[in-house]
Amino acid sequence: MLLPATSSLRAEELVFKGLKQGLTLFIPEKESFGHWLTLLDQRLNAAKDFFQGGTILVELGERKLTPGELAGLRKILGKYRMRIKDFNPIAKKRFVPRSKEQSPISTGVLLVKGTVRSGQRMENEGDIVVKGDLNPGGEIVATGDIIVLGALRGVAHAGAGGNMQAEIVAFSLSPVQLRIAHLISRAPEGRKGRQGPEVAYIKGEKIVVERL
Amino acid sequence: MAGRVVVVTSGKGGVGKTTTVANIGTGLALRHKKVVMIDADIGLRNLDVVMGLENRIVYDLVDVAEKTCRSINKALIKDKRLSNLFLLPAAQTRNKDAITPDQMIEIVEGLKEEFDYILIDCPAGIERGFNNAVAAATEAIVVTTPEVSAVRDADRIIGLLQEKEIYEPLLVLNRLRPEMVRKGDMMDVDDINDILAIKLLGIVPDDEEIIISTNKGEPAVLNSHSKAGEAFRNIVKRLEGEEVPFMPINGETGLFGKFLKLMHGK
Repeated sequence: MLLPATSSLRAEELVFKGLKQGLTLFIPEKESFGHWLTLLDQRLNAAKDFFQGGTILVELGERKLTPGELAGLRKILGKYRMRIKDFNPIAKKRFVPRSKEQSPISTGVLLVKGTVRSGQRMENEGDIVVKGDLNPGGEIVATGDIIVLGALRGVAHAGAGGNMQAEIVAFSLSPVQLRIAHLISRAPEGRKGRQGPEVAYIKGEKIVVERL
Repeated sequence: MAGRVVVVTSGKGGVGKTTTVANIGTGLALRHKKVVMIDADIGLRNLDVVMGLENRIVYDLVDVAEKTCRSINKALIKDKRLSNLFLLPAAQTRNKDAITPDQMIEIVEGLKEEFDYILIDCPAGIERGFNNAVAAATEAIVVTTPEVSAVRDADRIIGLLQEKEIYEPLLVLNRLRPEMVRKGDMMDVDDINDILAIKLLGIVPDDEEIIISTNKGEPAVLNSHSKAGEAFRNIVKRLEGEEVPFMPINGETGLFGKFLKLMHGK
């Protein structure tokens, strides 16, 4: 089964498709993840020779995976000696600078001049540097790293699309929520931002925060 | 010289936009400025009530926009105390869609030549009513109270004002209760300034006099015994470019020191 040429992010069925970026597995947003994993197992088993030993991209749409779900997916793919190259190749294409206040200082880095306030959202394919604060209610989404040269009090998502090496750095880190790749964490209740710069990154299957 | 067009806005409802407009408008008029206050809250008008002018309304903002009344002067209501203070009331039986941002700009342009100040009372929210109210303004006053939700909405509004090319809005912090701040039960001025980071125009203490004056239709700024009235008189002076130190609330030196720091720090 093939998707229409203008393939939307929402696949209705579990489907493999050859995109420009490479072979892509579409996992629909509806139904449970486990349901699709079972189906995937059957599908790969039926066409063992075809899929054996390749790397694939995985398109999840808006779905966020728990560490358990990710491990399950890796395990099934591993059974057929397949590896995941990257997540959400299509979603990534949507990351384009929007506001006139933003100017790329070099390819892949978006410099936001001033504070990102409640209700504002900045996206970039690459890194984002904010020359100001990220306030509660504001959002920053980057496929690479995020650096906030002020207080980070909103929601920051680094490595959107699956880059587990991405980091979030802020001069004062007291976020509503931090996301790196597919992982989500929130500050413990009542945590006041410590003084001084801190960095958040993935260690094992968890987001950890350390003094810079 | 064309007058200053200032919108008073907040995002959140019930933080004191209308009270602020009534007091700043009256305060400016007391300083012999020619002032018109426009109530842009169509369908939920209040400014006329707070000013005690409800029973004098014949024509309103929508009548002016639709040109139902022959001239805009027919719709302007002169204040009962000050002859250089006017109100252009909102329509009560219509809704926000009854006028467009373009009509608002046209109305304000017509008033600019004649008045020193045009104050626009913005409705709560960020939809059509907000767009109407902000369309003609070149300056903004953001009103907030020391509550997390009000500050969050104020932050949103500051972002939206930037999109409308109003880059330096001024902040009025309303209903501060010094004794609660002192006990650490309320956000203090520093907390709010940290997040919003815009110039502070004034701090208005929580004052029962405001409720009394609102119900009487007489702005607190006219009452020389009211703490809030005094705060609004200072706000008016600062709006006019005077340097006025922030007043000590309850004579507490620690707080006063903080205000001074704020005043001179930035």
